[in-house]
Amino acid sequence: MSRFLNSEESYGIIAQVLHWGVAALIFVQLPLGLYAANLPVSLARLRWLSYHKSLGLTILVLVLLRLVWRWIDAPPPLPGTLARRERCAARAMHRALYLVPVLATLAGWLYASAAGLSVNWFGVLLIPDLIAKNTELAPLFKVLHHVLVGLLALLLIGHIGAAARHALVLRDNVMQRILPAGWLEKK
Amino acid sequence: MMRWILLLLVCATAPASAAEDCFTSDTAGSGVTFRVMQAGAPYTGNFRRFSGVVCFSQGRLTRIDASLDPASVDTGLPELDAALKESDFFDVRKFPRVTFVSTAVQSQGAAHTTRGTLEIKGNRREVEIVLHTRPAGGKTAISGSFTLDRLQYNIGTGDWSNTKWLGAEVKLDISAILTRGK
Repeated sequence: MSRFLNSEESYGIIAQVLHWGVAALIFVQLPLGLYAANLPVSLARLRWLSYHKSLGLTILVLVLLRLVWRWIDAPPPLPGTLARRERCAARAMHRALYLVPVLATLAGWLYASAAGLSVNWFGVLLIPDLIAKNTELAPLFKVLHHVLVGLLALLLIGHIGAAARHALVLRDNVMQRILPAGWLEKK
Repeated sequence: MMRWILLLLVCATAPASAAEDCFTSDTAGSGVTFRVMQAGAPYTGNFRRFSGVVCFSQGRLTRIDASLDPASVDTGLPELDAALKESDFFDVRKFPRVTFVSTAVQSQGAAHTTRGTLEIKGNRREVEIVLHTRPAGGKTAISGSFTLDRLQYNIGTGDWSNTKWLGAEVKLDISAILTRGK
């Protein structure tokens, strides 16, 4: 049972599955959105954007679930070998990695609502609009969505870069905490 | 003899047309809205330009002759409006008018069951629309809604004929304020 929960040394299986699940979905979601948004008005665009919106709402729920889980099961502390400055940077980065996907999804949802293009989640659940159709506000939410997604892309580059630094340069087992037990253990 | 026949014809038709009271639709307070399902969610848009003549005789609706400019489609999304004017949808350059001409009307109080010919994109079909009249600030308001199958009129051809992503049923809500006209 304990392997499912976080320990002092590592994230538990639940936190790991949520982390990698959201990571995988975001890596599908970003190119999907970019591809669909650049298609001309067509049935293909309608279909791909519909999947993009459904996937976005799925990611939103999973990120909120991760926040709840983080609150229930505290993550392992960072090693004392890291400088105070580095620990602060890590904390700020992790907060942003929860906040920005939530805001980016909400901006996308607001954009869809304002454009009058309501979402039916994978064709099985009609999702309520956040605001009534307002075609004057729609372009503003579109820009906001794009800015937040751009910010998320930068955060992901920073996050992956930091993980690579821990794994390859510092070799301090920080990255291994999110991997299944036994993977890439420091010999 | 020919004169007599002509005179009889004139006498037979004149009283009816003389008693007919015709109105045109006022732009203010009038509207044509369409609803269709997109990706499983309802979507609404409008047509901005339309006109019509509605005639009554002794409180009974006698005829309607209406037309709509499909190029005035307004969804609030310029890209979508442009696509709707192209050949997959309304093909507005070739078919600049959507028309409805009544053929028979049955009035019961304020409800008028109107049969007529609807022509969209060169496709003519007999349809029945129940219209309701009511007084509106000294004028008469007329409204009604009906549902059509867009595929019967070739609206949304090619990929767009996939009704899972773009519903076949289109509901039209029509309302107009009538002002006295020719």
